[in-house]
Amino acid sequence: MLRNNSYGGSRSLFTSSVDWVMILLYVGLVLIGWMSICSASYDETAIDPYSFSHFYVKQVLWVALAFVVALVVMLLDDKYYHMLAYPAYIGGLLILIGTLLFGKEVNGAKAWIELGFFSLQPVELVKIATALAMARVMSSYSFSINRFGDLLRVATIIALPLLIIILQNDTGSGIVLCSFIFVLYREGLNKWLCIPFLMIAALFIGSFVFTPMTMLVLLILICTVSEVLMNGLWQSRLIYLATLALVSVVVYLASNYLFGWTLSAYKALLGTTALSIVGVVIYAYRAHLRNIFIVVAMFVGSMIFLPTTDYLFNSVLKEHQQNRIYSFLGIINDPKGIDFNVNQSKIAIGSGGLFGKGFLEGTQVKYNFVPENHTDFIFCTVGEEWGFVGCLVVLTMYCTLILRLMRIGERQEEPFGRIYCYCVASILLFHLMVNVGMTIGLMPVMGIPLPFMSYGGSSLLAFTLLLFIAIRFDASRRRFGVE
Amino acid sequence: MRVRTLQLIVLLVVGAIVGRLFYIQLIDDRYKDMAANNALRHVVQYPPRGEVRDRNGEFIVQSREAYDLMVIAREIPKEGFDTMRMCRVLGMEKAELIKQLTRAKTRSRVPMMITNQLSKEVKLRFDECNFRGFYTVYRTIRSYPRRIGGNLMGYVGEINAEQLRKRPEYRAGDYIGISGLESAYEEVLRGKKGVKINEIDNHGVIKGSFRDGMYDSLPIPGRSLVCTIDAELQELAEELMEGKVGSVVAIEPSTGEILLMVSSPTYDPNDLVGKNLRLNYNKLLRNPQRPLYNRAVSSHYPPGSTFKLVQGLIGLQEGVLKPSYRYPCAGGYTYAAGRKMKCHPHPSPLDLRAAVANSCNAYFCYVFRDIIDNKKYENVKAGLDVWTDYVRSFGFGRTLDSDFANETRGYVPTSEFYNRVYRNSWKSQTIISLSIGQGELGCTPLQMANLAAIIANRGYYYIPHIVRSVEGVDSLEQRFYEKQYTKVDAEHFEPIVEGMWQGVNVAGTSTRAAVAGLDICGKTGTAQNPHGRDHSTFLSFAPKDDPKIAISVYVENGGFGATIALPIASLLIEKYLTDTITRPYMIDQVKQMKIHYPNAKK
Repeated sequence: MLRNNSYGGSRSLFTSSVDWVMILLYVGLVLIGWMSICSASYDETAIDPYSFSHFYVKQVLWVALAFVVALVVMLLDDKYYHMLAYPAYIGGLLILIGTLLFGKEVNGAKAWIELGFFSLQPVELVKIATALAMARVMSSYSFSINRFGDLLRVATIIALPLLIIILQNDTGSGIVLCSFIFVLYREGLNKWLCIPFLMIAALFIGSFVFTPMTMLVLLILICTVSEVLMNGLWQSRLIYLATLALVSVVVYLASNYLFGWTLSAYKALLGTTALSIVGVVIYAYRAHLRNIFIVVAMFVGSMIFLPTTDYLFNSVLKEHQQNRIYSFLGIINDPKGIDFNVNQSKIAIGSGGLFGKGFLEGTQVKYNFVPENHTDFIFCTVGEEWGFVGCLVVLTMYCTLILRLMRIGERQEEPFGRIYCYCVASILLFHLMVNVGMTIGLMPVMGIPLPFMSYGGSSLLAFTLLLFIAIRFDASRRRFGVE
Repeated sequence: MRVRTLQLIVLLVVGAIVGRLFYIQLIDDRYKDMAANNALRHVVQYPPRGEVRDRNGEFIVQSREAYDLMVIAREIPKEGFDTMRMCRVLGMEKAELIKQLTRAKTRSRVPMMITNQLSKEVKLRFDECNFRGFYTVYRTIRSYPRRIGGNLMGYVGEINAEQLRKRPEYRAGDYIGISGLESAYEEVLRGKKGVKINEIDNHGVIKGSFRDGMYDSLPIPGRSLVCTIDAELQELAEELMEGKVGSVVAIEPSTGEILLMVSSPTYDPNDLVGKNLRLNYNKLLRNPQRPLYNRAVSSHYPPGSTFKLVQGLIGLQEGVLKPSYRYPCAGGYTYAAGRKMKCHPHPSPLDLRAAVANSCNAYFCYVFRDIIDNKKYENVKAGLDVWTDYVRSFGFGRTLDSDFANETRGYVPTSEFYNRVYRNSWKSQTIISLSIGQGELGCTPLQMANLAAIIANRGYYYIPHIVRSVEGVDSLEQRFYEKQYTKVDAEHFEPIVEGMWQGVNVAGTSTRAAVAGLDICGKTGTAQNPHGRDHSTFLSFAPKDDPKIAISVYVENGGFGATIALPIASLLIEKYLTDTITRPYMIDQVKQMKIHYPNAKK
């Protein structure tokens, strides 16, 4: 009844059905963000503190615009988003390609479109479009996540924009899309498919830290141990490992001292293991232990993947990205160069103490010891000026926001709304994890903003849009409840 | 179950962050020490400003070492300091010091300037006293060894609030070129500031350089310029122009290089340096003869008879005049019943060469009317527009696109203008005064000197410019190397050049300018002026073949062109070409000619 009455509908929209807690959290984060931008870009020597050239003055405009966007989203009917999902996604892809061709290069990434008075980073909008498209595909009738064809469709939806973004040389922003694994897991993706995904990530990092020899030994150990955990026959596996080691040593010594070949220990072990795999496969077939096949496949896959990571690292990632990863892994601990950002950022946050130094009193951020302190490193300002307590408040707000988004997702009748909410939650979680993580040295430095707080028009507007579409879905859910 | 797992992941991520924050903010004290060490003082390292030399390598503008005294008010010890001692060391009034300190306290964290331009000796003595919170900063200030080229070189001063808003790359307290060359070549001359980061302890005492100077940047000195001016010639010209209002501009025709540029009255550029700037600037500003105003590029003067050269050239090109044509002159030109343009006594009738040499008014009235009343044009309006186009091609009525920022256009009237003024009813007689360079015409002295260069080159010019080369740059902008052609063909210049040569070397108005062997060509001008006595002007170049110098002299209220402008030009040409003065009496004559300017004592 109420549904057909537009007046009644809009009244209920702004009274009971809207999740005001979410909106309060959003407004709170935006305001804290603005205060931090003030601190970071405040210049005591400026003759004209209200001039439009200051970041904090410009940000007022963006915040105002974001509030308008939020209001518009709340006033629009939510059925449009379902309708618009695919057109928006295709439009997003086209804009990405357009940026790749005609965009402006900033910090080596060709990811910006110049729009007169401001630059737009289309990847921010593409996140929303991809989330909508994911929701649309996965909520379609007869969709089953573990069916190969359906999974391929989802993977394509994620991979297409990711590919273009990597071509734009903006890998950091692209990897955000990988966080949708979170959504896939919620929707019932087989956990055996999630684990290789995590393994690949671990291997990618591992391959930089360890020598090939260590990696090989580790892999053999991990595979054997996981097989033991599955089948429980630990004695024979121990004998297998011992034989492997003995044979490799013999092969190594024999080839070097008897035949005079120069065979490295790594190749000796690798050769022996490869031969032993034939035996292992025959054994598994005879003993009807199917899960050994999975372990062998994992091992072979990893061995093929390892050289690939080297290739990826050296030819796909640019020097500064390589350096950032190295820096994160502590391989080159060079305080002069690449570590400087993170060091300064840690100093800023670390010097905040329990209660911080107070608004506009942070010497580290104010005097620009921390680079990019109004955009990617905005969290430093919170850490230095408001201390541990301030950080705790901000993190609690983010945590509540993300958990609440998941709860909102769970209470949606339609899978479309639920999947979209999870997409938003996973994007926010990923941004929070990487952005805050990098300021305290837990993550490599990737140039992605802190949602709602970092300076920048396209980021703030995009996150506002992203979040408020979810809030809008939730608001209409209650209307069904009235019926 | 899966939802629980995901919630757990969220909590784990946030938990890991909180744990890490707990460690670095509350447990690990290292970062607090590092932050304290990070309490750094950024001291701006000012680059020395680029120096300027003349075409012969002599310094015109130099940079001299000086120190500014800065203070960060909140670092001054609470118990105060010995103000008397500081005043003694600095040679400063106590009241002034206290005034500056009060000002500095209004923004106590920011480095504020107490006084500037301390000499090195004072700086060293001051450093010994070790006043806490105070420090000195190296700056350079300008000095002008020859004391020439006041409004040509311009001056340097602290940037003002309005410019700061327009040019965000500057900071309060920075110096910026305010006029003349200093302003036009600001980007080249200023160099790049550096920064020295010092670590200071909580008492504001410098503990050393931050991370061994790893983040310091050295200032990049401004690049030096070689300008096209001949300093000796400029000095002589300024001397000759003393006590007179007007302008002298000389150009090397084969390059467009400006050899000298005087705008008189001028001033000693050293008067506008540092502390003197504040004292003298207002004095110069109040002077009714406006010494800060560069007449050479900004003033509009009627060109007077010198403009007859252009008239003749246009007539020849249009085919309405042949060098052999003779026109009668019975003491003037009667263009309407009872209206006569007067002329001075001279033989009549004259051909073109003689008319140029004798500056016959009537002759050029005929020429001008033939040009604009030409039957091949629909009416006099169309005719005048053709004429205007020609005049513009000589660089009049538009800026020459030189490297002066404040170059003005001058004025060349169009038919549209007269339509407005005379409500569409006018004919060639109405505007007859244009024929002798009077009426609505307005030219800058630079444009007139450029005309001399055009005639010297027989039909083209190079854009006049003041800078010959910039350190570290291979060439100037392309436009300075391109010939700018007028709409008059080279062959038509010969009779005009002949006339100018005869006027100096055979018989005519300019004979006093002749110097044996130099083949000077010249044309006098006596421009009527509604406000007082006629302006005296002289346009000249030499030698006749292969010209080396083209010059225009303009003396306000100087009377006949031959009286005062001519000797100045002649002396300067002789000086430039032979580097000697064979007629010292002429210098004395020029110097003794004092002109009474009614507005001089206001």
